Amino acid sequence: MSKTLIAGSCKATTQRSLFSRTTSVSIDIDADPSVIWALLTNTSDYPRWNTTVVSIDGKIALGEKINLRSTLDPKRTYKLKIKEWEPNKKLVWGDAMGQRVFTLSNGQPGNVTFTMTEKIGGPLFPLFAKMIPPFNASFEQFATSLKQEAETIMSAR
Amino acid sequence: MTPDIFNREFQSIAGQLRSYLLRITASVHDAEDMVHDTYLRAVDKLGTFRGESSLKTWLFTIASNLAKDNLRAQKRWVENVTDIAKAAAHSNPAFFEEAMQIASTSPQAQFEVKEHIAFCFTCISKSLPLEQQLCVFLKEVYEFKVSEITTILDTTEAMVKYYLHTGRSKMIQVFDGRCALINKEGVCHQCSELNGVFNPKQNTQQELVKIDLVKEAETGNKERLFDLRLQILKELDPFDSKAAHLQLHHLEHNRQVMEKYIIETPV
Repeated sequence: MSKTLIAGSCKATTQRSLFSRTTSVSIDIDADPSVIWALLTNTSDYPRWNTTVVSIDGKIALGEKINLRSTLDPKRTYKLKIKEWEPNKKLVWGDAMGQRVFTLSNGQPGNVTFTMTEKIGGPLFPLFAKMIPPFNASFEQFATSLKQEAETIMSAR
Repeated sequence: MTPDIFNREFQSIAGQLRSYLLRITASVHDAEDMVHDTYLRAVDKLGTFRGESSLKTWLFTIASNLAKDNLRAQKRWVENVTDIAKAAAHSNPAFFEEAMQIASTSPQAQFEVKEHIAFCFTCISKSLPLEQQLCVFLKEVYEFKVSEITTILDTTEAMVKYYLHTGRSKMIQVFDGRCALINKEGVCHQCSELNGVFNPKQNTQQELVKIDLVKEAETGNKERLFDLRLQILKELDPFDSKAAHLQLHHLEHNRQVMEKYIIETPV
């Protein structure tokens, strides 16, 4: 099953303030929410379908910790805690600097809006803001990979 | 359904049940026990069978539930099971002595590369999460429809598709990285090596090119190559094949090695 990313199928946006930066992306996915949720919560399978993830170790469940390596900065391992975990609806992970929120809305098979938002910030944010790469392209790639994988799965007979 | 008809029907399905349970558990003993327990449970519940699914689907449902109960608490195997088992075999002279004894005395010990390909599939499949492993076998080897698998595994069509897709994709990835039959850089040559041991007079390369999986390897079509691998499993009964005794002995060895390995190796 080849992977061809659909260019322009979603557009990420970033809002900046002095003490924070928030990047968000949304995409409609023609798939059952349980499939999208399974893709989002199966850590060992991420690198197979998600081109923005180098690896995720650990278990995605409430209160658990995961180690994430992203293509944005492959040498760095982010140690993140699962802060919210509502099957088929909402997943939040993060650390002291920020958090990423995944939501699945509408919730009907074939009519799911996936949204991913990450807010990073704090009192020291202005000092390191320039060192953090932009997230937009990576977010678009993440959302498009998720859509493609979930819709490929649903199209099987 | 009368008990007589049921018994006849059960006998016609028992072979598939037995091979399915063997491939799921990798244990002859467990597979045979579970076939027996499937029969007993089915007889006990025969009055509740309304024919809403086929008898085959109903029996596979009972068997799958038994397998899930048995395997749920066990850790899964690892992708490089054949490397670990090979190292264990080399440090255990008794393994090869037993194998050579079987090879020289059993009528079902004519080593064939194809049978080893099927054996290898069984071992690697045990590195998948259990639901993925069950779905891959049910759909791809025992040819159940997705809708029938939802009944057998008591889950949704969407999740069956998810398990199937991820299970297939994962196994394709593992074989693509490891199997020297389809990838010149592959690290595992075990089927060729064993063919040299058990069939020293054969030209292994000549034997390999008779296999469609090898013939088509250069196309690089991973999905097609995986389907060819599955075709080999469909055509073989692991209990009743030319090399059954040899392969079952080998499987039991790998099972024992893996059970020890996963207990001793921290996650």
